[in-house]
Amino acid sequence: MSLNFFMQNLINALQWGSFYALIALGYSMVYSILMLFNFAHGDIFMVGAYIGLGVSLVLLKVVGTGAAALVPGWVVLVATILISMFLTAFVGIIVERVGYRPLRDAPRASAAITGLMIGIILETSNILFLGGQRLAFPQLIESRTYNIGGIFITNKKIMIVVVSIGLMLALHQFVTRSRWGMAMRAMAYDFVVVPLVGVPLNTIAVMTFAIGSALAAAAGILFGLSYPVLDPYMGVSFGWKAFVAAILGGRGSIMGACIAGFMLGFIEIMTVPGIQIINRLFALNIGSNLRDLIAYSIVLAILIFRPHGLFGEPYSAKLRL
Amino acid sequence: MALLRVEHMTHYFGGLRAVSDYNLEIAPGQIIGLIGPNGAGKTTVFNLLTGIHRPSEGRILLDGEEITGLAPHHIAGRGLGRTFQNLCLWRHMSVLDHVRMAHYAKISYGLMGAFFGTAKRYRQEAEIERRSRELLELVGIGHLADQGVLNLPYGAQRRVELARALAVDPKVLFLDEPTVGMTPEELVQMMNIIRQLHEQLGLAIFLIEHRLKMVMELCHRIQTLVFGEVIAEGTPAEIQGNPQVIEAYLGKETVE
Amino acid sequence: MTGTDQATVTRGLPAAVGRLLAGVPLLGWLLGFLAAVLVERTIGDTLAQTLGLPKMPVLFGILTVSKVIAEIINAVVKNTAFDPALLVHIPAALVYLSVVYLLPIAAVARLGARAANRAAAIMDRWNLTIPAAVHIGLMYLTLHIWAAMSDYRLITLKITLIAVLLTLSLNIINGYMGEFSCSHPGFMAVGAYMSSLFTVGLFVDDKVLGKALMPWALDFLTFPLALIFGGICASVAALLVAIPSFKTRGDYLAIISLAFLFIIKSLFENLQGLGGARGIAGQPDWAALPVIFVVVGLGIWSINNFVTSTYGKALNAVRDDELAAEAMTVNTRQAKMTAFLVGAFWAGIAGGLLAHVVRYINPAMFGIQKLAEVLAMVYFGGLNSVYGSIVGAVSISLLGEALRPLEILKWIIIPLMLILVMIYRPTGLVAFRDFDLREAMKPKTEPGQRK
Repeated sequence: MSLNFFMQNLINALQWGSFYALIALGYSMVYSILMLFNFAHGDIFMVGAYIGLGVSLVLLKVVGTGAAALVPGWVVLVATILISMFLTAFVGIIVERVGYRPLRDAPRASAAITGLMIGIILETSNILFLGGQRLAFPQLIESRTYNIGGIFITNKKIMIVVVSIGLMLALHQFVTRSRWGMAMRAMAYDFVVVPLVGVPLNTIAVMTFAIGSALAAAAGILFGLSYPVLDPYMGVSFGWKAFVAAILGGRGSIMGACIAGFMLGFIEIMTVPGIQIINRLFALNIGSNLRDLIAYSIVLAILIFRPHGLFGEPYSAKLRL
Repeated sequence: MALLRVEHMTHYFGGLRAVSDYNLEIAPGQIIGLIGPNGAGKTTVFNLLTGIHRPSEGRILLDGEEITGLAPHHIAGRGLGRTFQNLCLWRHMSVLDHVRMAHYAKISYGLMGAFFGTAKRYRQEAEIERRSRELLELVGIGHLADQGVLNLPYGAQRRVELARALAVDPKVLFLDEPTVGMTPEELVQMMNIIRQLHEQLGLAIFLIEHRLKMVMELCHRIQTLVFGEVIAEGTPAEIQGNPQVIEAYLGKETVE
Repeated sequence: MTGTDQATVTRGLPAAVGRLLAGVPLLGWLLGFLAAVLVERTIGDTLAQTLGLPKMPVLFGILTVSKVIAEIINAVVKNTAFDPALLVHIPAALVYLSVVYLLPIAAVARLGARAANRAAAIMDRWNLTIPAAVHIGLMYLTLHIWAAMSDYRLITLKITLIAVLLTLSLNIINGYMGEFSCSHPGFMAVGAYMSSLFTVGLFVDDKVLGKALMPWALDFLTFPLALIFGGICASVAALLVAIPSFKTRGDYLAIISLAFLFIIKSLFENLQGLGGARGIAGQPDWAALPVIFVVVGLGIWSINNFVTSTYGKALNAVRDDELAAEAMTVNTRQAKMTAFLVGAFWAGIAGGLLAHVVRYINPAMFGIQKLAEVLAMVYFGGLNSVYGSIVGAVSISLLGEALRPLEILKWIIIPLMLILVMIYRPTGLVAFRDFDLREAMKPKTEPGQRK
């Protein structure tokens, strides 16, 4: 494989992995701090993307498009991301309030089921209110392609990767430096005792869901920019995979979730050229749609050798019944 | 010959030495007490002997056979019953089911019996039920057999644990603070039950206990554990007079 | 000893009816249902016509009502024309329900209670097999007559029965054992594909799998073999999940089984030899109602035997406190593996049955959506309970059918109901109840009559 070819795919993989990583963070935070599987999170990503669509359309109407625009496209984009993150955070808070808080003392599996059901409700509501067609996401910034030594990079790809990594770093700072962040980490360590020393469990839970959902919204908008078609089931296919990435990263590890997300993206993108190369080398005819099969076999292999995930600590909790 | 013999057992948690060069010998029918201040490693000793942790060094022999490093259920099946310091009951199961469960290693009707209800299965299950009810009578809670275990008062829950431990047909019975949190009344009852078990069944008992009065009354020999090391071993009278024990243990803890 | 069960409810018409029917044994209810289906068979069509219904209501009239509601919603939202005459269908359906079902059931159950109790008391003294055969025979007869009245009923009933088996098999793992397994649709897929491979491959000329290898004469006697083959293959697949998952404690079964589900689905999509994404069609029509009834019955019976044995109770011990189970001689790893493989086996059987009912399979049938469906059934009905699995599977299946006219709204109503159940009864409607056939068939003490 030529270096160029590899680099080209690596950049695609980074972009693809950013989506997984941003979504995986939401799963991972809820899982680490509240020990819950938030199966609604994939659909929150979908809702975030649609909110982003709505916000950007409104903003474009206000500021105008093309040459007559009051402000350049990137300003609209930044505003869209920020406003959508803010709005989607509330979706997360509502999900927590309706689906998870009433089940605080219930078996954890029951909460996972309510999450799953809320996810279905979100998808259905989308179809109900928006008619279920796929919608085009407005291209807020003009696409430009740079040729760096034979590797083609678009400005969008760079922007997506940079924004994602920026958000991850911001989250890392928040969790390690701020008072609330530290409270969250304490809660992840022990959510029985920590509330006793004055850290309110409900506030932490709300914050966890809000931050996770905001990140999912950012992922949704970035996804809309690069694959400009939204559909109500985008959260299902993406979400479950990101969930696997989150767990693969290990409980209680922000870095783990990010790296596992990027890794999953990398594996998924790389299997197609990988299969092509193997086919050429050994004169085989393996179908390139084996992507999922190979990606999850690798995931399974990693989990078999590292059952607590890439960066997780061993622990002995299990679903409380 | 000793029923349970532990030779030079040492255990590390990470770099921390939790138990060092621990030796023990329990003869049939003997009651041995293990005392020591909080955090001395008493429960760790129990967990090592019952197979929950694997000792870093040393050997454990039950009835002449080496059990070091076996899985807990194998060790239990060879005749080592235990209770837990903080009750470990199965919250959705009835009292009777608790005691039946501890017969797990003895059932032999296999999966055929489990799925298709062979005659052998019903015979064995009936026998297990009969025996379980007997054991519950023995510890004085026969009338509670069909209750859910969460509905019971604390003292009765302790007895369920005791009956359950007896159901594995222990050669040695391990009791981890059997009277912790009990009212004085329940305490007296529990002591009587332990004494009765010892007399009726001729059981060897290994007892962790905080209440020195009880240990002194019940035990034939007592070990004192401080920071994972046995600093004194002897008869109750010897221990009571041992200045090291008094310094390490009695000096700091209030004696009831 | 009994008798006081119903005594707490004292006032109102429902309470009065409850008191009146409290003394009816299972046998009486079964006879009531039998009477109801016989009534429907005789006068159903005529009654429906008289009441102005287009045809005989297929699902107790519920479907008729929800169709009218759907029309109203459409009229309001989409401004379609609404014929007010349709409104008559609602009371008509209710009348139909009362005349054909409620009244005959209540009347026969009540009037026959004494005789039924006497019969139940006599049978109670006999070996369990005889009363069980009588009850199950009656039940089958009722279902058969009911389903024979329309093809729609037949297929709905078949799929519901299969759902019961599937739900119970997952309940072993998620309920009795308290782990969270996501791979059940995968095991179903394995069972469905392997049994189809067996039947279609051997007995049918098929585009994908080639000419029939065996003469048709051996036909459906081999169907049980095909199902068992599918079940065993599912168990073998389950071994791949179980070995790594049960090495450590924790939530890893959830993740590994999820990854496994993706792998299995992707595998079947890519195996061109098994039809790829298009799947296999043209399974022989061997899954008749009696076959399904017997297989599902066997499944419930053997699973119930298992979970009430000490081997099965060990799963509860492992769930509630694994350390204590280990210390009480329970080989926890072995117990978990057994349960997982058994769950997968029956899921495989259910898959095989489903394949031969709908007579086509493709990988898309066994995805996340199926997972959500079967999880919903398990948690709606109740964990750790055979009754719960039956209640869950039947109510979710029937609800799904009854709300079908509401189209997309159905996917809001059912999840909402499940959320409410989870909030008010987090372990499901009928959780933690032992299924004891003899107990269920016992005669009941009638009110006002001391034993």
